Amino acid sequence: MLVSVAELNSKAIRFKKFEALLEQPIVDMDQLKKLSWMGVPEEIRHTVWKLLMGYLPTNSTLREKILAQKRGEYDDYVQQQFSDEGKAGLDQALVHQIHIDILRTNSNIPLYQSTVIQESLERILYIWAIRHPASGYVQGINDLATPFYQVFLQSCVSDDVERTDVSLISKETLNQVEADTYWCLTRLLDGIQDNYTHAQPGIQRQIVRMKELINRIDGQLYAHFQKEGVEFIQFAFRWMNCLLMRELPLKSTIRMWDSYQAEGIEALSEFHLYVCAAFLVKWSAELKKMEFQDIIQFLQAAPTASWGDRDIELLLSEAFMWKALFGSSPQHLKNNNPNQ
Amino acid sequence: MSKDDEYDYLFKVVLIGDSGVGKSNLLSRFTRNEFNLDSKSTIGVEFATRTIQVDGKTIKAQIWDTAGQERYRAITSAYYRGAVGALLVYDIAKVSSYENVNRWLKELRDHADSNIQIMLVGNKSDLKHLRAVSTEEAKNFAAENGLTFIETSALDSSNVEPAFQKILTEIYRVVSNNALKAGESAGAPKVNAGTTITLNNAVDTSKKPSGGCC
Ligand SMILES: Nc1nc2c(ncn2[C@@H]2O[C@H](COP(=O)(O)OP(=O)(O)O)[C@@H](O)[C@H]2O)c(=O)[nH]1
Ligand SMILES: [Mg+2]
Repeated sequence: MLVSVAELNSKAIRFKKFEALLEQPIVDMDQLKKLSWMGVPEEIRHTVWKLLMGYLPTNSTLREKILAQKRGEYDDYVQQQFSDEGKAGLDQALVHQIHIDILRTNSNIPLYQSTVIQESLERILYIWAIRHPASGYVQGINDLATPFYQVFLQSCVSDDVERTDVSLISKETLNQVEADTYWCLTRLLDGIQDNYTHAQPGIQRQIVRMKELINRIDGQLYAHFQKEGVEFIQFAFRWMNCLLMRELPLKSTIRMWDSYQAEGIEALSEFHLYVCAAFLVKWSAELKKMEFQDIIQFLQAAPTASWGDRDIELLLSEAFMWKALFGSSPQHLKNNNPNQ
Repeated sequence: MSKDDEYDYLFKVVLIGDSGVGKSNLLSRFTRNEFNLDSKSTIGVEFATRTIQVDGKTIKAQIWDTAGQERYRAITSAYYRGAVGALLVYDIAKVSSYENVNRWLKELRDHADSNIQIMLVGNKSDLKHLRAVSTEEAKNFAAENGLTFIETSALDSSNVEPAFQKILTEIYRVVSNNALKAGESAGAPKVNAGTTITLNNAVDTSKKPSGGCC
């Protein structure tokens, strides 16, 4: 593939800007968010994400200490649950549910076939679940752990992490990646916990809002769905439950999360709504020609296998536009969200 | 309009049972002849269709595959409405999935139409060395509870075709039988009331599986 000199140059310039920001004694988070919205270079993504998630402190002198403390805390949780005596007390139904889901996670990517990686992800999910009994483990949360895991592990290997030889990675490194993933996943889920509590009210609310949004931005598509008896919950439930991860290649999700994290934790319920709307309207022309079952089947397997960063960036900028247009309008769109 | 859309009856069927018993693979085996050892877990509800022949009639099955996890019950049970058949699946190698059959039956009693045809399906029959639920026991349980019973393997395909064929045939028989009796019996179940009405109803319900899922 041809990459223009101009493109390489602009990449280099962006990288330099990130580097300069990260070298500051106290990182300017507003600047970092602004830069990150347009995508974070892979080489420094792990650090940027940890900062954006509020896991690493902006003050560089505190970072080592906080990191050691958080990793130690997680190690304690693991010891409590997974030491030989602890294991007897494990909730077997929960262990089983997480296990069968991890076996079915990203099965197209070699990294996730490794038993060591699978066990690591299972511990993260188990510990998260028992520490968050209001929701507990809900299928789909397994997906949400993987972007963090992959980005953090990528910074520890020199080849493509998706096909790296896991046996060459030290136990200590893996433990750190596991702990960092746990804490960032915890923060992410804190923002959307009511997506996973009984009857999943967060998702229900978002679907109502999405429906209203589509009515405003694409009335014809809305009317067509009504005529065909298509309910938004029939396809958008998964979009909310897994933050569109099931509809996109993992690398696209990672790019998308650069912008989500730059938007802040509310993005997961707020900005995400506009991204879902943009995603749906993208196929509007095709969908309007389809009948009920073809619509559902199309949306269950949207043709995104070949998507790259550019497709995601287009989607994000459309979502951004709609949020600017409709997000601040006072009327009914907002009334459905009691949290606002 | 594609050939696929020319049918005499449209039946909505749901697939239920514990997570991991093989519901999604039974569906992909039946509708696309595919099996995938690492297919992703089902989130909420997924959908597929296939058309088959029963007694010279073209029956289109609209099948809703559900997530097995408890947390999704509130979402998935909304899809039971209007379903004329249910495949209640357990894993012959996992006792707890069989023990939970009673809970699933209760779910159906609470949320589905009372005349829904239910088939108990013991899946993963290829795992002979790991069998934990005997055929005999499940067969007796099914008989006691008025369910049809079959063991299948989505992996090696055995009995998958017959399972769907059988439940769709049963549904068809009930529907056409009730259609005949419709004039006489005022208490005829609503799904089965009258040939034309039944057909239209069936089409309507499945075209608009709306019923309070939001
Ligand atoms: N041996 C065997 N494995 C199966 C069979 N059906 C499904 N599986 C496996 O069981 C796991 C869960 O299957 P899935 O269809 O996702 O189950 P669901 O959660 O009920 O939808 C997957 O690893 C499947 O490959 C079967 O008939 N035999
Ligand atoms: Mg499934």
